[in-house]
Amino acid sequence: MSAALGPERPQVVSHVQQALSYTVFDCKWVPRSARLLCLGSAARGTGLVQLYELHGARLELLREIEKPKPIKCGTFGATSLQQRYLATGDFDGNLNIWNLEAPEIPVYSVKGHKEIINSIDGVGGLGIGEGAPEIVTGSRDGTVKVWDPRQKDTPVANMEPVQGESKRDCWTVAFGNAYNQEERVICAGYDNGDIKLFDLKTMSLRWETNIKNGVCSVEFDRKDINMNKLVATSLEGKFHVFDMRTQHPTKGFASLSEKAQKSTIWQVRHLPQNRDIFMTSGGSGSLHLWKYEYPAQRSKKDSEGSEMGVAGSVSLLQNVTLSTQPISSLDWSPDKKGLCVCGAFDQTVRVLIVTKLNKI
Amino acid sequence: MPVWLQEHSWRQTLTAVYLSLPLRGARATAASIFCSEQYLKVSIPPFLFEAVLYAPIDDTNSTARIGNGNIFFTLYKKEPAMWDSLTLANADKEKLQYLRENAILKAHEKAKEETEAKKITKQEHKKYALEATMKLEEAERKRIEDLKEKERQKVTKELELWKKQQKDANKYKSIQKKGEFHQEVEQLKERKNEKMNKTKIPNEGTSKARLKPTKVHGSCSMFSENLKEEQLPAPRSAATIKVNFTPRAFPTALRESRVAEEEEWLQKQAEARRTIKSDLSELEDLKEEEKNPDWLKDKGNKMFAMGNYLGAVNAYNLAVRLNSKLPLLYLNRAACHLKLRNLHKAIEDSSKALELLTPPVPDNENARVKAFVRRGTAFCQLELYTEGLQDYEAALKIDPKNKNIEKDAEKIRHLIQGTMQSS
Repeated sequence: MSAALGPERPQVVSHVQQALSYTVFDCKWVPRSARLLCLGSAARGTGLVQLYELHGARLELLREIEKPKPIKCGTFGATSLQQRYLATGDFDGNLNIWNLEAPEIPVYSVKGHKEIINSIDGVGGLGIGEGAPEIVTGSRDGTVKVWDPRQKDTPVANMEPVQGESKRDCWTVAFGNAYNQEERVICAGYDNGDIKLFDLKTMSLRWETNIKNGVCSVEFDRKDINMNKLVATSLEGKFHVFDMRTQHPTKGFASLSEKAQKSTIWQVRHLPQNRDIFMTSGGSGSLHLWKYEYPAQRSKKDSEGSEMGVAGSVSLLQNVTLSTQPISSLDWSPDKKGLCVCGAFDQTVRVLIVTKLNKI
Repeated sequence: MPVWLQEHSWRQTLTAVYLSLPLRGARATAASIFCSEQYLKVSIPPFLFEAVLYAPIDDTNSTARIGNGNIFFTLYKKEPAMWDSLTLANADKEKLQYLRENAILKAHEKAKEETEAKKITKQEHKKYALEATMKLEEAERKRIEDLKEKERQKVTKELELWKKQQKDANKYKSIQKKGEFHQEVEQLKERKNEKMNKTKIPNEGTSKARLKPTKVHGSCSMFSENLKEEQLPAPRSAATIKVNFTPRAFPTALRESRVAEEEEWLQKQAEARRTIKSDLSELEDLKEEEKNPDWLKDKGNKMFAMGNYLGAVNAYNLAVRLNSKLPLLYLNRAACHLKLRNLHKAIEDSSKALELLTPPVPDNENARVKAFVRRGTAFCQLELYTEGLQDYEAALKIDPKNKNIEKDAEKIRHLIQGTMQSS
């Protein structure tokens, strides 16, 4: 007990807890504000978007929007700071972009997939990174599609299984390597443990690997830099950290894997203000805060003289159990360091504050 | 019979009686003293001394000291008075008896009371100890809670402060934007106003240092917004990337497969390949390839295809002698026997094949279906229709989409119903 409360270790303080009357699948901070969004599915099978504002020790509901289909995921990644449009993927495979001030009609809508959109990510907006704003969606129908809000109806890139091949559900997608206007990379994780890295500049598969267990969540530590690290979490409590700076022609990227807990690790999120700290949320309702340490040398030469990466090490800074149900979604606030929101399957959304992150 | 001890000496003061008894050589440790309010008995085997005292004494405070060859009693009187003698002189036997018994009873009660009192005090002590530890733990817990609370409050305050800053920043930004809009419009019209505005802007700017960067943004946002849109690259040209998924020995994902069974099956297969009995002397004159069970199996298959069933059986026999663990050998030999109408042998071989095809996994589905069908056919040709039907149904369970098996199963059912009706 005293070690966990030691003077220098970050503490996870539960600031506000809000009980909801629906299942929350995703929660996101609205950039440049103290407001957060909860996306989910109401008991009667419709989708709900609720906008809350943080007022002292409680959350005040500002707006509630109901949509015909349950909503699985959302992102602000591809909109500008002034507009702050929300892009959502729902259970029916529809991708919609909403203006929260006028939510009756979506700004952009397309039936992107035949089945539920499991995961969505956006890049090019919010003043982060360069290049065209794009949204990527990964769906249970095995395809990963990239959309540009300026182009209607057809995706600008489509990663689909070869004809006749049995498809595997895509569970998670993430953008990365968007450090200039042309470069962009998408990482997709599938339910059979496949992780594939697609390069959008060359429109090809750049790397793939298999981590044996279904991949629940992938995230680059930063979307808008030369790709540095990738964390992939999976079922059965394991997560892998890949060092993405050095790609070996046959061995791919160096990685380390860590078994954190017995249950599925649902989400991984990097701290926006420090790219070496990330939080994983687990199926047992627990949150683990990790710090990655780089090795002395990030790359070395192998026997044939080609460069290969060296994986570093990861250390557990803090862990806390908040709920008995899985914590399925997690989001750090980009404006205040240490402020985060998490939504769990016990129909509560919690705002947490992680202290002492400055001292790490 | 104890000996009465008559010699004793005593003296008294107003409050106490001092009695001394000689021990007479008897061991002091064996002395037992019984004393109540008005009765005193000392038993030092073989001596016995008893005295019914003149007046009641306070037996709890009285003491006895054993030493120096005698026992020295200090008895404190209940009422300070001088006694005429130590004992009641005119006590008759009955009174003595009664007094003795009374004394014993009283002593018993006292003993009981004492034990009870002891119990109660023990309990109280325990309770006290428990409460003390609880208090300590409470204190510890509280200390930790306080630490946490302090953290929480500190963090909440910081959050509130940040929020306030955000709000003020936003308010200011919106007011400023409006102000700037007007200002910029005027700027375009008159140069004179420009100077005034320039002096205005710094005033507003200095009050909140944070707003300087946003101000710059604000002023250029309106006019350069169009420009910025053009700076964004055009949407990508559409393209598709084809994806292959990792193949596995079993087409199911890790979490769906019954890994243990599948591993077992793979192991069995691997083992089967390895057990080749090559120590049969008759084989020495065979060619190298003829000692390979796989080659023999292929030969057998070819001969079966050409209709040379006996030859095929021979090939399979040799292969089985070399390696008795390959289920496919038995399976194929069963087919040959069926054609040769060696029905019992066919049943035997199909059964052996099925035995070797455990554990049941998707990989050996086809083989199992074939084994069931062949055995079923053999049963039916022996007119054991119920067993045949059983096997056909087992085959159907594995492969429900096979029309031939279904048709045959139907036929057998009709046959069974037909024979049941006729008999």
